[in-house]
Amino acid sequence: MNEESDFRKGVGFAFRVGTELVVSVFVGTTMGYALDWFWGTKPWFMVAGLLFGGAAGGLMVYNIAKNLPGGGSEEKDS
Amino acid sequence: MESPLHHFELHPLVEINLLGLDLSINKAILAMWAGMAIVFFLFKAAGKKEGSYVPGKLQSVLEVGMEFIRGMVEEFIGKEEGKKYFPFVATVFFFILACNLIGLVPGSYTITSQLVVTGAFAICIFIMTLIIGFSKHGGHFFSILVPPGVPKVMVPLMIPIEIISMIARPISLSVRLFANMTAGHTVLAVLFGLAMSASLALGWMPFAFTVIINGLEIAIAFIQAYIFTTLTCVYIGDVINLH
Repeated sequence: MNEESDFRKGVGFAFRVGTELVVSVFVGTTMGYALDWFWGTKPWFMVAGLLFGGAAGGLMVYNIAKNLPGGGSEEKDS
Repeated sequence: MESPLHHFELHPLVEINLLGLDLSINKAILAMWAGMAIVFFLFKAAGKKEGSYVPGKLQSVLEVGMEFIRGMVEEFIGKEEGKKYFPFVATVFFFILACNLIGLVPGSYTITSQLVVTGAFAICIFIMTLIIGFSKHGGHFFSILVPPGVPKVMVPLMIPIEIISMIARPISLSVRLFANMTAGHTVLAVLFGLAMSASLALGWMPFAFTVIINGLEIAIAFIQAYIFTTLTCVYIGDVINLH
């Protein structure tokens, strides 16, 4: 039972990570682009949004990996 | 040769126009009704046995599924709080699973291969988590934007990052389900197209692959329904148990 649930978590992890990374970069860039469009500061917020989106994606993958069964999670946060 | 994306197109079967709204019935709506009916009548049939304490075959299978979802809810939301959200999570799981599996029947339609449908699911869940969070924690709910153990200097940097990852949640939730279902069905369509256009001497090879990929698609249908519901639980749990 335990082994099976580890497998399930692993499959879930595999399907999650890819989309999370791509989507956060996309969302960050789009939000930056929208702010530029509102305030007329053409490229700057989009560049910042791209960087923040990348950071958000990395952080999200880190948080998911921390809670994996074999991921060496010291504390169980939720 | 027909385009492999052709079978995703929708054409109205019954034209209904009400007050300028296009309420036409098409294949996707029929498939959604079928999914709803299957889930409803399956559970109705399993649950209506009275006077007998021995569960039948159908009831046993469905009970295993329910137990599985209850374990998931208890793990991510919590034992006491989870009871409130268990019916919702179970409904989401069985409905998405039924819709995914209906799509594998030749001639029917996979409604989860439409971004509108999965997006509507995800936005409903997102708004629901916001309402739960605000009604439970009030203004204190904004502390979800600052992860615990972050130095004061980093807080202005963390807030945009957390806002982005908050907004990315419903989008990634919907895109994942939509992309997996669409990709699987496109691969099937391409292989069928190859099998139809090749001569018989070669055509059996892509056809054999469609059989294998169909098996894979059944597994994907279960896995995607599972992932969608797990993430629903994770998001609800995050909002209820603020760090």
